[in-house]
Amino acid sequence: MTKTYIRVLFICCAVCFFVSPCFSSTLDTFEGQSGTIKISGGTAHIPVMKEAAKRIITFNSDIQISIAGGGSGVGIKQVGEGLVDIGNSGRAPTDEEINKYQLKMFKWAIDGVGVVVNPKNNVKSLIKTQLVDIFSGKITNWKDLGGLDKTINVYTRDKASGTRAVFWKKALDKGEITDKANFVVSNGAMKSAISNDPYGIGYVSVGHIDESVAPVALDGVVPTLENVKQGKYKIARGLYSNTKGEPSGLTKKFIEYLFSNEGQQIAADKGFIPVK
Amino acid sequence: MKLVEHFAEKFFWFAAVLSLAVTILIFGFMVILGLPLFKGGQFFDLLSKPWLPDHDTLGIYPMIVGTLSISLLGLGFAFPLSLGCSAFISVLGPKGLSKILKKTVQLMTGIPTVIYGFVGIFLLVPIIREVFERGSGMCILSASFLLCILVCPTMILFFTDSFDQVPKSFLDAVDALGGNKAQKILYVILPYSWRGILTGLILALGRAMGDTMIALMVAGNAVALPDSVLDSARTLTAHIALVIAADFESLEFKTLFACGIILYLFTTVIALSVRSIESKPWRKK
Amino acid sequence: MMGRVLQKVGTGFSWICAILLLGTVFCMVGYLVINGLSTINITLIFGETDPMDALLFRKQVFDGLFPAIIGTFALVALSVSFAVPIGLAAGIYMAEYCRGTLKKVFSLFFDVLAGIPSIVVGLFGFSVAIFLHKYFSSKIYPCLFISALSLAFLVLPYLIRTTQISLENLPEGIRRTAPALGATKLQNIFYVMIPRSLSGIASGVILSIGRCAEDTAVIMLTGVVATSGVPKSVFSNYEALPFYIYYISSQYSDKQELLSGYGAAIILLVICGLLFMAAFFVKHRLTHHALYRP
Repeated sequence: MTKTYIRVLFICCAVCFFVSPCFSSTLDTFEGQSGTIKISGGTAHIPVMKEAAKRIITFNSDIQISIAGGGSGVGIKQVGEGLVDIGNSGRAPTDEEINKYQLKMFKWAIDGVGVVVNPKNNVKSLIKTQLVDIFSGKITNWKDLGGLDKTINVYTRDKASGTRAVFWKKALDKGEITDKANFVVSNGAMKSAISNDPYGIGYVSVGHIDESVAPVALDGVVPTLENVKQGKYKIARGLYSNTKGEPSGLTKKFIEYLFSNEGQQIAADKGFIPVK
Repeated sequence: MKLVEHFAEKFFWFAAVLSLAVTILIFGFMVILGLPLFKGGQFFDLLSKPWLPDHDTLGIYPMIVGTLSISLLGLGFAFPLSLGCSAFISVLGPKGLSKILKKTVQLMTGIPTVIYGFVGIFLLVPIIREVFERGSGMCILSASFLLCILVCPTMILFFTDSFDQVPKSFLDAVDALGGNKAQKILYVILPYSWRGILTGLILALGRAMGDTMIALMVAGNAVALPDSVLDSARTLTAHIALVIAADFESLEFKTLFACGIILYLFTTVIALSVRSIESKPWRKK
Repeated sequence: MMGRVLQKVGTGFSWICAILLLGTVFCMVGYLVINGLSTINITLIFGETDPMDALLFRKQVFDGLFPAIIGTFALVALSVSFAVPIGLAAGIYMAEYCRGTLKKVFSLFFDVLAGIPSIVVGLFGFSVAIFLHKYFSSKIYPCLFISALSLAFLVLPYLIRTTQISLENLPEGIRRTAPALGATKLQNIFYVMIPRSLSGIASGVILSIGRCAEDTAVIMLTGVVATSGVPKSVFSNYEALPFYIYYISSQYSDKQELLSGYGAAIILLVICGLLFMAAFFVKHRLTHHALYRP
């Protein structure tokens, strides 16, 4: 009896010993460090990046972290060219990109892309064919969908956007986006535009949806965090941070921080689904 | 002593040449980096095709139309407004009010364009959207209104300066003949200062075409060819700001240099026309 | 008869224009002030960090405008220090040493430089940065240094022109006195002409400062970012006030952030307004001093 007990205890200790490094990457690893981390790319990641940077810098003010947006395409390109240390993307880098730049990808959260309209709009549910027709410009008036007699103002993102790439591939089945659409430059900008335009429609990261915009159910499924987690809402994507080659130094510590309990908690707080 | 003189002169000369070099270099960079576009006569295709990157058509024609429509419309609003205000300041208005207006206009030249854009998004765009009941409010009309307010101060100051240069003897002559203020401005000052007015107009056009922030924030940036003033449009300048984030090896990015070349050429044409106006002899009536 | 009608219409029209313009400006400024005045307080600038810690750079500021304000100051200081020596020297050259066709050619090029849209200058700066990054040192990327350089290119023509015009507007009498007494050309320039035209030159410098502080298009392309804290070195990214305003206007996450945008707009307006009035003041006051020195 005692022998089994001791064996179990020994195994527990061994497990704790080997597993603890995975849980010890809290802010302590940044003790005594100094330097700069440059981050750019996906705009959906920015709230998490900002919060992580805030905590790290408050802990150790010798570290400087600069965060820019630009979209997933920009992130991948800039990290590949060595202009930044971490390039965020809201879509997985293509094989071509991985080979060209020797990228290493780190997926630290799961997110979805949801269609949004202004909260004053009473059209809150669409089927896929309607969505494709709205974005291609075939349906131009809200009254054809049961709403007011007003023209639909379509908002879209530019080509560098990972949000756009995922939306185009999975929600529109690679359909056309009308060239009359207004362009906005980030998830935040899409939210501001839709919340200011009662007759607008656009698409945004599910983690960014709050009371200023209203999510639109697609084929009966509302784009919420729960539905993405359970796989009911199909238009999902991972949030990636990419580096050129294996990360080292401060960059490595930052990425490890994202995967730590604290980092994953930040991701959850900002409205994404942590991978752990 | 002579040596110091000599070095000083060389230094001044060098500074001037450096500034000249920068001007040429800017153009040079645009041309060299945009070189892939010139191969196979693609450049002229660029100028007439629409912008559809998914279909491999990279034409900046809609952007050229966007720039021209917003600038010309804005100028169309600004010109009468500036003329009226300058007439007011120089001649027609009561002394106190004219001074206030002139000081305000001078202060206005210091207002950053990003502030115009900021106020435009939150104040003007919703008004346009509700009044015209069409579109999102982010359109050519909104951008033109804001551009009008942007270029008015420069134009007004230019006009008032040229009005002030009318020889006093002319103005005295009008008074001596019993003319009133309105006659003074309409029949004497305006015809005399046609040169200054034209110069001011052209410089304002240059300013309007070169502005980025107002068009970027308020004109909507759609890539379609605009059908009406209530349509969203993209200017060459906003296009550069938007596409700068793209892959800079790609052909898409190279089109930015084409935009730069066109804007540069516009600027040169404007500088040349201003020069030629100033050298025209004064027409004797 | 037609003449009378035309005059009446003309007068009425100009009154309407004046009122319209004044009204629009007051509306704009009033809108900003009404919405933003309530946010102007210490928290707007310093966030949750203690002001003394922030000012002594002991702690970083988050959620405050302080990094953007410092970034703008650093940017302006750097770009003016690049532009003023070159601009003044080139202006002196144009006014004193250059004649004839060469002068016309130089003039034309400087006019073109003055007219180049700021975004094209920004594009140039970005291309130079990438070019240097590829062929010289991979440590160079769009940063404070590149932005300052590009802004210097932007304001160079203003400086050249104001220096040139101030020097050329001096009366012939002043110009010829010192050489008549045996001074060299350089002595004439430094001891007589520049002090006399100091007001014009100084107002040109102050206006360039204003131009650098307010420009958004150039810095957008050459290194400004939304979040980076106070810039630690000349080769790092930085924040700036005008970019903050643009960024907030297009992507604000909540009402609080939007209000901070209004506050930032007011601060920027005040800075530019002050600079402008300083230029005006300098132009008139220095003239007074220079002419009435005992």
